[in-house]
Formats: sequence, structure tokens, C-alpha cells
Amino acid sequence: MLGEITKVTESVNFIGAFDPQIRTFDIIMKTANGSSYNSYLVRGSEGVAVMDTVKKEFSEDFFNALERLCEYDEIKYIVLHHLEPDHSGALIELMEKAPNAELIISGRAVMMLKGLIKRDIPFEVANTGKIISLGDKTIEFLSTPFLHWPDTMSSYLHEDKILFSGDVFGSHYYDERLFDDKVGDFSYAFKYYYDHIMRPFKQYVRQALKLYAQFDIDIIAPLHGPILRSNPQYYLDKYAQWSSEEKFRKHEFGQKMISVFYMSSYDNTQEMAKKIMEGADLVEGVVASMYDLASLDERNMIDLLEESDAIIVGSPTINGDAVKPAWDLLSCMAYLESGGKIGASFGSYGWTGEAPEMLHDRMRWLKFRLPVSPLKIKLIPTDEELKACVLFGQEVAEITMGKMVEMEI
Amino acid sequence: MINIFLEDDNINVKVPKDKSLRYVATKTGASMEFGCRVGDCLTCIAKVKSGMQYLNDKNEKEIRALEILASDVSGLRLMCQCSVKADEGEIVISYGF
Ligand SMILES: Cc1cc2nc3c(=O)[nH]c(=O)nc-3n(C[C@H](O)[C@H](O)[C@H](O)COP(=O)(O)O)c2cc1C
Ligand code: FES
Repeated sequence: MLGEITKVTESVNFIGAFDPQIRTFDIIMKTANGSSYNSYLVRGSEGVAVMDTVKKEFSEDFFNALERLCEYDEIKYIVLHHLEPDHSGALIELMEKAPNAELIISGRAVMMLKGLIKRDIPFEVANTGKIISLGDKTIEFLSTPFLHWPDTMSSYLHEDKILFSGDVFGSHYYDERLFDDKVGDFSYAFKYYYDHIMRPFKQYVRQALKLYAQFDIDIIAPLHGPILRSNPQYYLDKYAQWSSEEKFRKHEFGQKMISVFYMSSYDNTQEMAKKIMEGADLVEGVVASMYDLASLDERNMIDLLEESDAIIVGSPTINGDAVKPAWDLLSCMAYLESGGKIGASFGSYGWTGEAPEMLHDRMRWLKFRLPVSPLKIKLIPTDEELKACVLFGQEVAEITMGKMVEMEI
Repeated sequence: MINIFLEDDNINVKVPKDKSLRYVATKTGASMEFGCRVGDCLTCIAKVKSGMQYLNDKNEKEIRALEILASDVSGLRLMCQCSVKADEGEIVISYGF
């Protein structure tokens, strides 16, 4: 027997699908009880809009719900807030069934569409300010890129005061009671989702929140997990707090943080680290610290990386490579914004000495600013070489404090 | 040599004619972002605040890509499609514009 279709408001219904079995999402995230692929149907006096679809395997649930609410030729618009496969999985079938529907995607989605759909389909592009009408219902689009796909956009249904936020404000949390005031405690899932999916894009979260702030929002309808209607401002405030630009230290004392991370087997790289830190600390306005990667948890790595304005990583060269904890440290950048952070690398070596160069290259791909070349020292550093370490730290610190880099290439 | 100021990184660099902006980014360690490097993904979009005349003209692909993104694209370029086309001058670029 078919269950009730959940009404979000008089004219908006939930037509998404539940996936209680899924335990690992997008390779990188765990979910303890599953998730949902939310999709919504908006009915106006002159037609219907379908807001996103579901993962392909769940198409049947989606079409069943949809068919109970409208005829296919009533569908005027299909909106994809981003093209990720868990929301675009039923698109082709839906387009084939709905002859009058116009597909609406963001500008940045255009280049992706073909990569995912593998055929030419007609579409219309929506940038901030575009408005579509279903007679007595008006939907306005907002460009909210990189949350968490480059092509993400949001939309606002004026008459019902609903924000369709895409993956923003999502949770991987399965509960068919669906509304935040009815489901169990999903606060951990809401935060976990933010930390893994949105945190790398904090500056874009801040931009999106500015756009959202111009609307009076009664309901936030995200693409995963509970629909947020009890107190939408609470969730907006949480995102504002988590994505705030203010760092602990900067906030209190207006200083720049430089963190020197290293690992060392016979103390040579450690000696370099000490001198680099000493040099960095000479510069006014800088607080430099050093951390031995041998005893740093991932959780703490992420927080330290986030707080630091400059990151200097040291590793000896072992079997032609940097040591694993150094790579683990840099892997944590997947959870953070790196654009604009300053990076540098160093290390002691015996005969080949690849590690500092390799770390430098890795940081380039991670979009660090790398104003100084890697610093390598053969085996035990001499007094002269230790002085060079002090200057190296000082140079990185001065650039972090805003010294202009002059160069010729 | 042409002078390029990369505003977001506070880098002032002298660059010989015909060098690409990708080369400039690699050599200076600037935080300019690239994705596909072939003009498809729009990751490398940046604002040329002055000195546009010292860069190569936009190719077909770049014109099309920019048109999709915004209605007013004056000053915008895809850095992966740009190179320096003059011996002298001053270019100011911002990628976090
Ligand atoms: C959480 C997440 C983050 C992603 N980040 C990127 C990215 O930074 N750059 C990129 O080119 N693609 C990114 N993608 C897109 C995937 O690489 C793309 O969907 C790919 O086809 C997945 O391949 P698979 O089917 O082997 O998992 C991301 C996808 C997800 C789910
Ligand atoms: S890097 Fe993709 S368009 Fe330039």
C-alpha cells in the first residue's frame, strides 16, 4: 500500500526517496542510519515545478510520488540546484516523460551537464535574480557556487517562504518523520555534514548567507535529511558561526599564526624546525609554534591548519619520500580552505633529498602561496645552515605579515 | 619585461613576453587556482583590473565560456587561456575579486 505523501506546505510536497541502508556516502562520509535524497514538487495555478530528482536506483519511489500529484504534461520546470548524481539520477527519464518541462541549471553547470548526461538536452541558465512563475507561485534563483559543487545554486519560493538550499543545510540522517521538530536528534549529523562538505568552502558559505539574509525564510528545504521549519534562523546562525572568518588568536590579539610541523628521527629536521620557528617569531605580529607530527591527532591537525596563516612542513627524506605523517597532515587540507594560506617546506636528508620538493609540489596543488623555495640541509646542520633556517622562518613570517614579494621570472 | 601585480598574493613580478599566466602562477607560487587548464571549468576566472591590452585576445572558447557565466564580462579572463603579449606595461590581476 502506498503511504501518505508528505506535505511541506499546501502547495509543496516532498517527493524524494529514503535510503536507510547507505552507510558510506561519497567515499568520505559515514552515516549511522542512512540518508534521504530530497526532492520537492511545487504546484502553482499555471503548472508544476520539480525541484531536483533522486539517485538513479531510487527513481521508482520518486516517480510513484510524482505521479500521484500531477500529470507529466503539467510540469513546466525541472530545477537542478546542482548536478551531483544523487540528485540528477532520474533527470533523463523525467525529461523524457515530461514533454513541456524546461530544465533550469546554473551557469557553472553548463559545462558539466554533458559530462554527466552524455547527450545534448535543452536547458535554461539561472543566475542570481532570475525569476520563474507558476502563475500564483514565484521562484527566484540565487547563485551560491561551490556549496559543495561548483555549480550549486539555491532558490526561494516567495509565496511559501521556502528556501530550497541544495546541499547546504543538509544532513545524512534517515528519518521518515522528515521535519526537524519531529525527527530524532540529528544535530551531530548536521554538524558532521557541515564539517565534511561545507567547511572547505567557508568563504562561499558566507557569501550564500548574505544572499539568504534578504529573504524572510519560514522553511529550509535541503537535499538531504530533515526539512528545517521549527526555527530556520537557528540553522542559519549555526552556519554563520561555523563559517565565521574570525580565528581564535586573530580575533583576540590581531596576530598571525605560523605553525611549523615536522618529524625527525635523529633530530636534524627538528633542529631546523626550532630555528625556523625562532626566525618566524622574530617578526612582530607573528606567533610561531612547532608541532611534532609523531604525536598529533588528525582532529588537532585540522584545527591547527585552519587557524594557521602560514604552514611550514618539514620531513627528512626516507626511501626517496617524505614521511607518511607529513602527507597525512596535508591530506587534512581536503576539509579546509587553503586559498591564500602561505606554505613552505624543509628537511634534512642523506643523499637524494626529495622530501621538501615533494611537499612543496603537493602544497602547490593544494593552492597554497609558496613564496620561498624549499630548504634542504644535508645531514647535521652546521651553524651557518642553522642561521639560514632562522632567515627562512623570518622571510616566511614577513611575507605572512604582508611584505610584498618582488621577483623576476 | 612586463610588470604583473598579483593583488591577492601581494606579488609583483617581472615577466618576459609570451609567457603564459600558468607559467607565472607556477614560478611565483601564487595561489591562483586552476582546474581543467583548457578553458572548460571556469575555475581560473580572474579580473584584470588594468593592462588588459598587454594580454593576448580572447579565443572563441574563452568568449563562449565567459558568456555563460555572466552578462557583464568586462575585465574578466580565464587565466589558463592568457599570456603576456607585450614587452612593457603594467598588469594588475585579482582572482579573489
Ligand atoms: C564530495 C565530493 C567532492 C568532489 N570534489 C571534486 C573536486 O574537487 N574536483 C573534481 O574534479 N571533482 C570533484 N568531485 C566529482 C567527482 O570526482 C566525480 O563525481 C567523479 O566522476 C566520481 O568518480 P567515481 O564514480 O569513480 O567515484 C567531487 C565529488 C564529491 C561527491
Ligand atoms: S582552468 Fe578550467 S577554465 Fe581555466
